[in-house]
Amino acid sequence: MKNETENKPKKIKKPKGPIRWEAIVPVTIIVLVMVLYFHFLFDLHLRKTMEWVGYQVVGAEVDVEKLETSFFKASLRIQGVNITDADQPKQNSISIGDIRFSMLWDALLRAKIVVNEVAVEQIEFNKIRKTPGKVKPPEPVTPEKDSAMSKEAEKVKGLALNQIEKKGEDNVLGDIVAMLGGSSSDMQLEKLNQSLISKEKAKALEADFQKKQTAWQERIKQLPQGKDFQMLGDRLGKVKTSNFKSPQELQDSLKEIDSILKEGDAKLKVVQTANSDFNTDLKGAQDGLKDLDAQIKADIKDLEKHFKIPKIDAKSISMSVFKKYLAPYMEKVNKYKAMYEKYAPPNLIKKKDGSNEEPEIAIQPRPRSKGVTYEFGRPNSYPLFWLKKTSISSQAGASPYSGDIKGQITDITSNQVLTGKPTVIDIAGDFPPQNIRGTDLKIVLNNTTSVSKADLTFKVGSYPLAEKEFVQSPDVKIGFKKAQGSLLVNAHLEAYKDLKMKLDNQFKNIDYDVSSKDAVADSILKNVFAGIPQVSLVAEANGLLPHINFDIESNLGSELQKGFQKQIQLKIDEARKKIEQYVQKEIAQHKEKIEGQINQLKSQVEKELKKVQDQAEAQKKAAESKTDQAKKDAENQGKKKLEEEGKKAVDDLKKKFGL
Amino acid sequence: MTLLLKQIFAFFKLLNSDTGTNPLAAGLTCGIILGFAPFISLQTLLIFLLVFIFRIQLGAAFLSAFFFKFVAYLFDPVADVLGQKFLQSPALRPLFVSLYNAPLVPMTRFNNSIVMGSMVVSILLAPLAFFIFKALILKYRETVLARFKETKMWKAFKATAFYNWYCKYDSLYGVHGN
Repeated sequence: MKNETENKPKKIKKPKGPIRWEAIVPVTIIVLVMVLYFHFLFDLHLRKTMEWVGYQVVGAEVDVEKLETSFFKASLRIQGVNITDADQPKQNSISIGDIRFSMLWDALLRAKIVVNEVAVEQIEFNKIRKTPGKVKPPEPVTPEKDSAMSKEAEKVKGLALNQIEKKGEDNVLGDIVAMLGGSSSDMQLEKLNQSLISKEKAKALEADFQKKQTAWQERIKQLPQGKDFQMLGDRLGKVKTSNFKSPQELQDSLKEIDSILKEGDAKLKVVQTANSDFNTDLKGAQDGLKDLDAQIKADIKDLEKHFKIPKIDAKSISMSVFKKYLAPYMEKVNKYKAMYEKYAPPNLIKKKDGSNEEPEIAIQPRPRSKGVTYEFGRPNSYPLFWLKKTSISSQAGASPYSGDIKGQITDITSNQVLTGKPTVIDIAGDFPPQNIRGTDLKIVLNNTTSVSKADLTFKVGSYPLAEKEFVQSPDVKIGFKKAQGSLLVNAHLEAYKDLKMKLDNQFKNIDYDVSSKDAVADSILKNVFAGIPQVSLVAEANGLLPHINFDIESNLGSELQKGFQKQIQLKIDEARKKIEQYVQKEIAQHKEKIEGQINQLKSQVEKELKKVQDQAEAQKKAAESKTDQAKKDAENQGKKKLEEEGKKAVDDLKKKFGL
Repeated sequence: MTLLLKQIFAFFKLLNSDTGTNPLAAGLTCGIILGFAPFISLQTLLIFLLVFIFRIQLGAAFLSAFFFKFVAYLFDPVADVLGQKFLQSPALRPLFVSLYNAPLVPMTRFNNSIVMGSMVVSILLAPLAFFIFKALILKYRETVLARFKETKMWKAFKATAFYNWYCKYDSLYGVHGN
């Protein structure tokens, strides 16, 4: 078979130039399609994307009515933003009528985003929605997905609440009312099911000391006795210490004395070791007694709690009254704090406690490195992102949920050091339909210094309170039917860690709603509250995030304290005394026994040890003096001998020379 | 895996085709720069423009970019160190300040250490790579391809009806070279 292609003459291909002219048409089509897309569809897609992203971030439906972009003006206009309140889906937490801004092309061409001014208009809070908004269901917690970050967020969420609840002394007023109604004889201490911890401790201490006592008695018997030292003394007595006939005799005597000394030293060491060990054991026993005393105090406190002996102090009462009032606000704060920790840049919330690092999963390719990004700024140049001014305005009357708001946010930027200006938020206004007046919010975020600082001042001149419950328990009810409140919050955050916050809430023109099931308590409460025209609540939060210490103070606490003090203090003292007597009675027997044992052993062992030690030291002294004596004698003998020999030599010389 | 094999087969098809060596080599070289540069950056856009406007082999460029992306991933730590050295150099600082504040240049993301390191390496390698690729393509065509065409197996295959049909199909529907 012939190859057909080989028979046909080959077409001579015209050489093509370097430029791909035939690409013009496809490229033009592509460009045209892109232009049409951006003109007709981009705004719609961007709007949907914003709604979806908002839903993911906030956890509730976000609606955007209209969105317009312009490429040549680099502008964006968003109208009708409604963010659903996740806790109340039938209303919006915030609605914004109009947001518009345009970016500078000069900055965009430099890959920077700079906006001269943003206008935010027609802001409304708690506006009723036409239809209830979607709320994101909570994510199911699985062990694998339970990341270090979510654990930390949960910890933060509950931490502040726990702080308040712990300090809140759960139901102080309820306990007071119960005490007023009941009597201390109701405390049936004898029927306590659990044994006191201090009692168990005392028993254990007693048994332990008993064992030690036996061991010491055995040990004393094994110590060197008086007769041992006497034997050494006798040996020493037999050693020659004078009239040595030869140096060898002296040497032997010294050797024997040395051996006796060494034996004596060894026995002395045994005694000294025993002395030291005994002192250690004695100290241990005494420390044990001290621990027992501390445990007794702890048991008394536990029993006071068990029988709900209340603390009549202003602080506990204030905590108890306002715990319920503050808890929802703390939950909201913690919710936003958790959201901030989730979305804030990691370098802002670096954990310095060295924990909570997610362990690396082995045998996986490393993620693509990000490298280090440098900013080569210079004075008056653009930072990566800079929103110079945001003007916020709203007028009341458009809807019952709007207010007269005016304010501005200046210098939101990615690099405050470059711009040299801190971010300042200053918004003030009133909400006449809701009777809220004198609202003023000022926030300053300053990263231009080495340590970043954030300051917040939030003031509400006056706002109405209606049907507010503070305490609702079976024993007592405290609330406001109607009141007028004013609020001042000052907060200072340094290095995004060190927080100092103070909240000052004043209530006046109060119509109280106070009652108790106990007639005495009811009368006291009504009298006390009648004499309080104004209630102040001061809450403080201080510390390093997320471990914050909360403190609540109120004039209500001190007034209630005064009111209840007289009636109830006697009963409280009586109850406390009863508890203390019960505990001491349970423990006293064991404690006395232990103390007796310690004293007995101390006197016995110390006496024995001292006796043996004295004997050993006496023998040691005798041996040492014998050694000195022997040496001296040998020295004298030597001298004498030398003298005699010298004299003899002189006599011999004289004889020789015939003198 | 299928994608990888497809790319390899496409490359061999190009090598064995009548495509000129210069467009092929230029395509492979552009692929180096594409592979080392971040996807969203000005230099990527410029290379795409070059590839579309001039007769640079598209397939070779994409294939080369595909493979050099893996090389770049492995090369990241070295590029990071190199880039940091350049960006922290006091002598070059005034230049970088000017470039960072100039229009369009920041879109190259040159101020990132990995991008800078990779860019330096790819630009230095590019001219050398072009000549190496060209030489290799020529060598391949002269030795491997020519020898293969002389084999009995190939000659036998060329005589088959299937091969005739393929040639006809290719002449009518295939995309030839440039």
